[in-house]
Amino acid sequence: MLRDIIFVTLLIIIALALSYLTYLGGLGDLPPQDIRLIARSYLNLTYNQGVNWLWAASPEAVTAIVWDYRGLDTLFETVVFYGAILAALTVFRGVSKLPDRIVSVGLSVVVKRTMAIVTLAILTVAASTALHGHLTPGGGFQGGAIASVAPLLLIVVFGKQLFVEKKVSYNKLLTLRNASLGLLSLSTVALLIYGLATNEIGYIFQNQAKALSTLSYPSHMLDVPLGGTLFFLNVFEFLAVTSGFTLVFTLLLSSEEVILKEFEGEEYGY
Amino acid sequence: MDIELVKFMFILTVMSLYLNFAITLYGVVAKVNLVKKLIALTILQDTVNVFTVLIGYRLWRPGLILQPPALTDMNPTPEIIKDFVERSVDPLPQAFVLTAIVIGLAVTLFLTTIVLHVNYHFKTVNVDEIGGMKRRYIHEEAV
Repeated sequence: MLRDIIFVTLLIIIALALSYLTYLGGLGDLPPQDIRLIARSYLNLTYNQGVNWLWAASPEAVTAIVWDYRGLDTLFETVVFYGAILAALTVFRGVSKLPDRIVSVGLSVVVKRTMAIVTLAILTVAASTALHGHLTPGGGFQGGAIASVAPLLLIVVFGKQLFVEKKVSYNKLLTLRNASLGLLSLSTVALLIYGLATNEIGYIFQNQAKALSTLSYPSHMLDVPLGGTLFFLNVFEFLAVTSGFTLVFTLLLSSEEVILKEFEGEEYGY
Repeated sequence: MDIELVKFMFILTVMSLYLNFAITLYGVVAKVNLVKKLIALTILQDTVNVFTVLIGYRLWRPGLILQPPALTDMNPTPEIIKDFVERSVDPLPQAFVLTAIVIGLAVTLFLTTIVLHVNYHFKTVNVDEIGGMKRRYIHEEAV
């Protein structure tokens, strides 16, 4: 009881301290009257053909910041993300090799048919979010997160053996994930490699032509802005996120006996 | 709509986010159930994300046309871009939040795996009980 009183008092103090800091102007004018200078330059440059050595060829400023202006940040964020998935896969390393003993018949016919339609809708929305990431809000991460809901629901509705029957194996998903990551890394250095091969100047993470480099990804395709690297990075990220999440979900939904067998260990592991 | 009302609602939102922050922090620290801790942590993440997006907000004023807040012309003239910069909110916090959401998702997945592991190992997700088990085990070892 005393513990709870102490906690509550501490938290009231935290809330009051934060409010006082805000009152003193810790966040600047509230509500903000105008956007910051750096935001103005991003918005000005992102689709400004008049300054085409600094533009990102994408009318969507957020994606342009994520994959172009601050692209290196996002690359290392991707590394952290895949590190975490890799850690989860390592903890379950033995589970993937064992055949799952659970044989479920899934849910009723009504749910199964509905799920088949819903799966199509989920995948369509996901693909649209990922492929239009450089035009409208969205992108590879968001599309991937939406798409990975589909396998999760499929496992619950149709049973775990669906993936075995359809030959969607652990190794195939892992290969897809690694191939997407490889292509993602390659598209960030593609212009640098091309530049080295043809003896021209190219940069890491180069999207459009710069002041000293004429190399450029295509800015338009069939009259629609393509955003250069943004489109390719979004697509590869979409594939990588989808396959990575599907991997972890299939492992997390393994039957208890299989996981316990892996976790029983050799000694008292307290 | 009155501008004073808009300002009041903004301050109210900021305060409610601080309150949410405090409550979820309480959940993370004080709850003994690991799953409840995890849920509180995800709500804490979302609170911070909403707060970050809120910082990029731009105050509506009477006479300011904010719609649409996006670039709709695919061959924009300098005037259209200038207009767009005047309408749009700050995109940088949104880009940061995107990063934070992805990292948060990865952390949540990893923590879920660990909680599952703990549950299989100790048959409970109550941290007090797990602590008691460990104390008993060390005591038995010593005796």
